[in-house]
Amino acid sequence: MSLDNILNHWSDYRKGAEEGGHHDYEHRWAMAINLDLCIGCNACSTACYAENNLAVVGKEKFEKGQAMHWMRIERYWDQQELEHPEQGASFLPMMCQQCGAATCEPVCPVAATYHTPDGLNAQVYNRCIGSRYCSNNCPFRVRYFNFYSYYESSWPEPMEQQLNPDISVRDKGVMEKCTFCMQRIRTVKDKAFMEDRKVKDGEVVPACAQSCPTSAIVFGDTMDDGSMVSKLWKKHQVERGIYQKTKLAKKDADLRGYRIFEELNVDPSVMYLERVREDI
Amino acid sequence: MTMVTEKDINEQIAWAKINTDVLKSMENPRPAYWVTLAVCIAMVSTAVVAEYIQYTVGMGTANLNNPHMWDMYIAAFVFWIGMSHSGTLLSAILHLIHADWRKPIYRFAEAMTTFSLLTAGIFPMIHLGRVWNLYWVLPYVSDRGIWPNFRSPLVWDAFAITTYLTASMLFLFVGMIPDLAICRDNTTGWRKKLYGILALGWIGSDRQWRHFRKIYLLMACFLIPLAVSVHSIVSADFAMSIMPGWHITSFPPYFVAGALYSGCAAIITLFILLRYFFRFEDYMTLPIMEKTAKLTFAIAMVWTYLNLIEFASVWYGHDVYNKELLIAKATGAYAWIFWIMLFCGSVLPFALAFRKLRRHMPTMFVVSLFLNLGMFFERWMIVAPTLSMSQEPHQWDIMYGSIVEWAIVFGSFGWFGMLFLIFVKVFPSVSMYEVKEMVFHRKRSAGEEDLARMTDHAKPVTQTTGGGSA
Amino acid sequence: MSGKMNRRSFLKVMGWSSAGAALTGCDMPTTITLEEGKEEVMSYLMPEEYVIPGVGVWYASTCTQCAAGCGIHGRVREGRVLKLEGNPDTAVNNGKLCMMGQAGVQGHYNPDRITTPMVRSGGSLTPVTWHKALGLLEEKLGAISGDRFAWFTGTVSGHQSVLLANHLDAMGSTNHYVHEVVNNAVSRAVNQDMLGEANPRLRLDKAKMIVSFGADFMGASQSPVQYAGQYAKFRTNKERGLLVQIESKMSLTGGSADLWLAIKPGTEAVLALGMANLLLNKIRVSDAGIPSDVRTLINNYDITKVAQITGVAGHRIQRVTQLLSERSPSLVLAGANVEGQAQGYAATATIMMLNHILGNVGKTIESAGEFPFPQLVAKQGGTADLVAFAEAAKAKNLDAVIFHGSNPVYSAPKSLGLAEAMSSIGFKVAISQFPDETTMAADLVLPVDSYLEDWGTQVPADQAEASAIHVQQPLMEKLNAETKGLGDILLTLLKQRRKDEYGQFEDYYAYLRNAFVAMPTSVKNDAKNNDEFWNAALQTGVIKVDAGAKNLQSTVVSVTAPVVDDSAGLTLMPSPRLGLFDGRHANLPWLQEAPDQISKVVWDSWVEMHPDTAAKMGIGNLDLVKVSSAQGSVTLRVVLLKGMHADAVAIPLGQGHEAHGRYAKGLGVNPLQILDATTDNKTGELAMYSTRVTVKRVGPADSLSIVRMGTGAGDSQVGRKLVGTVPVEQVRRTEGT
Repeated sequence: MSLDNILNHWSDYRKGAEEGGHHDYEHRWAMAINLDLCIGCNACSTACYAENNLAVVGKEKFEKGQAMHWMRIERYWDQQELEHPEQGASFLPMMCQQCGAATCEPVCPVAATYHTPDGLNAQVYNRCIGSRYCSNNCPFRVRYFNFYSYYESSWPEPMEQQLNPDISVRDKGVMEKCTFCMQRIRTVKDKAFMEDRKVKDGEVVPACAQSCPTSAIVFGDTMDDGSMVSKLWKKHQVERGIYQKTKLAKKDADLRGYRIFEELNVDPSVMYLERVREDI
Repeated sequence: MTMVTEKDINEQIAWAKINTDVLKSMENPRPAYWVTLAVCIAMVSTAVVAEYIQYTVGMGTANLNNPHMWDMYIAAFVFWIGMSHSGTLLSAILHLIHADWRKPIYRFAEAMTTFSLLTAGIFPMIHLGRVWNLYWVLPYVSDRGIWPNFRSPLVWDAFAITTYLTASMLFLFVGMIPDLAICRDNTTGWRKKLYGILALGWIGSDRQWRHFRKIYLLMACFLIPLAVSVHSIVSADFAMSIMPGWHITSFPPYFVAGALYSGCAAIITLFILLRYFFRFEDYMTLPIMEKTAKLTFAIAMVWTYLNLIEFASVWYGHDVYNKELLIAKATGAYAWIFWIMLFCGSVLPFALAFRKLRRHMPTMFVVSLFLNLGMFFERWMIVAPTLSMSQEPHQWDIMYGSIVEWAIVFGSFGWFGMLFLIFVKVFPSVSMYEVKEMVFHRKRSAGEEDLARMTDHAKPVTQTTGGGSA
Repeated sequence: MSGKMNRRSFLKVMGWSSAGAALTGCDMPTTITLEEGKEEVMSYLMPEEYVIPGVGVWYASTCTQCAAGCGIHGRVREGRVLKLEGNPDTAVNNGKLCMMGQAGVQGHYNPDRITTPMVRSGGSLTPVTWHKALGLLEEKLGAISGDRFAWFTGTVSGHQSVLLANHLDAMGSTNHYVHEVVNNAVSRAVNQDMLGEANPRLRLDKAKMIVSFGADFMGASQSPVQYAGQYAKFRTNKERGLLVQIESKMSLTGGSADLWLAIKPGTEAVLALGMANLLLNKIRVSDAGIPSDVRTLINNYDITKVAQITGVAGHRIQRVTQLLSERSPSLVLAGANVEGQAQGYAATATIMMLNHILGNVGKTIESAGEFPFPQLVAKQGGTADLVAFAEAAKAKNLDAVIFHGSNPVYSAPKSLGLAEAMSSIGFKVAISQFPDETTMAADLVLPVDSYLEDWGTQVPADQAEASAIHVQQPLMEKLNAETKGLGDILLTLLKQRRKDEYGQFEDYYAYLRNAFVAMPTSVKNDAKNNDEFWNAALQTGVIKVDAGAKNLQSTVVSVTAPVVDDSAGLTLMPSPRLGLFDGRHANLPWLQEAPDQISKVVWDSWVEMHPDTAAKMGIGNLDLVKVSSAQGSVTLRVVLLKGMHADAVAIPLGQGHEAHGRYAKGLGVNPLQILDATTDNKTGELAMYSTRVTVKRVGPADSLSIVRMGTGAGDSQVGRKLVGTVPVEQVRRTEGT
């Protein structure tokens, strides 16, 4: 955010999210999660613990609401008036939605959370001072704060050997959240760069999508028209940008694709497909 | 200019007596003073221990959690910032509108402003996860070209609060210069040295008075927009977010009104305490109390009105989350706080509408404390319910702070009390020269122009003329 | 590479060159200095073989977290295994892995692993050397032969199973007790009798409709990942599959059902008979192959009677049955709650009969063929062996037992009296990774490698489309110098008995390689030589074998009328959960911290009850209650859940450990302890789902003592569109499915 930068790109910076924002994106990573396939089995969540060095906080801290599950499976009971949940449960894998117009970004006093050219909300752990404003301003409540130092309690010897060296172990006072497995994206991008080619669809697979037994999670680049995720977004007529635009673009309102809290205009990068129910 | 039928100050009071009375308040503390000071220091020490635990173990010791990333610290921060508005109101706004009944009481109100700002300023640090990096919010010159995020209301906060703190400290100090000179001339030992330095060579010459008046007026003018903006910016911490219950247009005036409200209530509390302990009955008179109380009542009504506006706009608005939250505030787990807040903030001030009650000091003391309790709950009510019930229902949670958090919040009252107690023994808590001015005016308006006698009585005092208030 | 050089790659180059400079000087940053001699400083200029600093390499192996035998890829970097993923080459899991598989690394790196052999002396276990431990073993086992020796294990397969069988043979014993709490032993028996195959291939993906009587096929089942993968196909087929789950306690699978029906526990067979009645008498499906006595039995169960007994509404039964007849092929499954009844065999057979009536056999239930290496096929267990073992121990028929991969002391109901009977076994050996209850009761403890350090082969019992042997290879050096592989221990034991036969194998690796070489060329897939075959097997982690195709025919088993226990009281469902499973994974913190999929409780035990039942007893949510059976009682918190039948209470398995490491010990209760020792009269399996209990409130609600994730809004979406739902008709229009 240097002065030169601001002066040179002033007209770009003035563009709001509704005009496409001011980013020169290389990629726009996105997901499509088919809730009809999600069985709520926790495989994604556990894979995330394994991949991203997430701390196990223990019962007492979990009780206080200080758990660090970047990816959590929310379980809802609909039709609560019935004697039994005849439609089963409603499962929702919830992680950082990597919003295009993220509300966490403008409120950070030190710009520790910022928008990358990959379209991700990156969290710079080293820069974070722990004001926790970003979490307060996140409608999805998917930012997790290191209320304690966990490196001794969570990884007693020799468990620390399992830690992924590609990413850090966060210390107390720092906010963290799902990164769409940024380290995997990085590896693939570097490889593609060395081989002087573009990143292929399906080359980057985050840990959650990789482990999902029903393949409910599809990950990819929406800037790549050929990608699976692009096709799904198109098929369900969900478009990047603000709510009104998506609403108008959606010629068939009955299509299953939707983004959560779309009306807040935060432009999430995760499209969910509604759960299908057969009423018999 | 005065419309009161009852005299708000006895114009027969001699200037020398003013000096003696005020200077006497700064001498030989009684045991009660030491006990109170000890209690305050104990509270601060407890808070320091609590903060040490929180600092070394982690923010989790305050029971903060995923939805409740902020809690009592921010509520207390807003509370203390709000408290700081009273001094500015009394010394600057009332100064500009020539309400000279403020004169006997503005000094301690200004001190309150400064000390509550000093208290408030601690909270962002206590609440920060990595406080050792606090300076990153300031735009210091970095060769890596890394700047704070100017879009963040927290950065605005940093600017606003530091500016306001500097300005109000200067204002307090500048307004005190003539009195410091009086102190200098009436003390010996370290006090004489201290006041000598602080009085900046004040001799009360016409030239000094002329400059003094000008700078005081200028600072008053400067401080008013600052005070209004500070609390507006604090409100932006909430209003700039997209959270239900925070994202509300009326927040800036609502915060300013709340701030003035709690400030005025605190003035009443301290008014009564000073009047009682320092025997300031001659200066902090019942008519002044009445005026303060009326002012408080008026602000209470403004605050109530803004509350109703907020409720109405939420109720008739389209934001379902906001409406849901409003209902939850009134009926949910935090409802007891909500109703105490409304009772203390909107119903209790009607006590101030009765002359009999306004003049009954014990009642006023209790009422003023409850008004501030209501205002503290208001801040809690702003911070906690929104976090407990944001858009995402999976993360809904009711949380009450831990003992660590409460110890620190209570400690902040001790800290404020400690600073204030030290202040009243080191500096004059009543503005001597302005009271003299007031007496002079009253006398003049009463048609008694016996200036010579008065100045005789005030022989040892620095030459002060009340000539032409600014 | 083109001439592009961006900032990041520039920094990278700089980083590499400076790191190189540092390495040349042997100047590795380390907190312990060389002088202290505590850390070995190794230059990466000469890295170990196959180690590329900073680059993770994926090696294939096989997961043994449950008996499903999923293929895995383990990411190895700088000699450490970091992350496990499914192996896309194994058809069983098709590149996917469940939460238990993901947490495998935590078992491997567990801080509570046993690191040295231990022998009981003076009441406590004290470390000894391997030499002494093996000497003791030889001495003790040398004095025993015949059936007074036994092995007690969990499911074993592959070459370890062969060695184990050979060891038994060498000992002259026939006693191999195979115990699994989460099992399908009754179904296997029914399948064997009905289809001639114990483990036919279930093809959920081919079914247009599944009616599951409590079969939690995606949860704690025999192959959760495989069935979840099939389920995904079932749902995304051109004609979207319809899942009806009928059970007394909502399982993970039940959570995904289109229609979830609560049924009175123990009346599933009645419902199946009622459905058969409707099919045969109303919808007029052919009754070919149904014995006349069964036909008469079916006729006795008209819809009104069935609805009254089972508590399932008549119109629901009719509708489900109607749809079953329309949507062919379908699949009807019986779950553990059906198998675990006093008449479990009959009940399961009755339900399986529906598949016969509906003509599903051969369509959605296929033959798994003939596995060409019968000696490698998984030896699957159940609870019958646990009962038999307890009997044998009580009768003092056992002098020496070797335990591995099973924890009978934890999982045997108190009523079996196993814990006491253990002391009458002369010599107990535990080949164990963790200090679990059985290990702590052993006389000799042999520390075993984790599955990420060990060689082996696994043959999944529930084979996917293509049958295969899954290869297990070490993904890293042993974490602890003193542990040994299971195969190595078995080989040592065999060498003690049959030196001439097994002396030629230096270790299990040599044995395994030899066994691979000896495999017929049919499985070697054009490998030019044995080395190539060996390398290919290790690389892919899988050896595909041709099991041949068989035509599956079904013979309806004659069943007797179901006996419904109408006595008052509640039926206890000791429900296994994907995660802690039967309790073996309670020491893995990731799984403890992962909320139960349905009740969302972490780090604890709880009892699930229907709110109406609880209200009648004056019990509120999170109250402390005492659940008592004739065998004992447990005290725990109530979680009210509408996914329960009013006559059932469920306590999930997994907690209540008295040992098993820091993460497991002292949390919650073990419902297995209070089960009756009733067994199924046909198979001898424990009727785990037939224990009657009473529930009594003993303390008030305390939200702090039981931790649940995200219940702040009462599990409701509060009018938001978080999980959107659409009717299938709409999707048929928009997406044509």
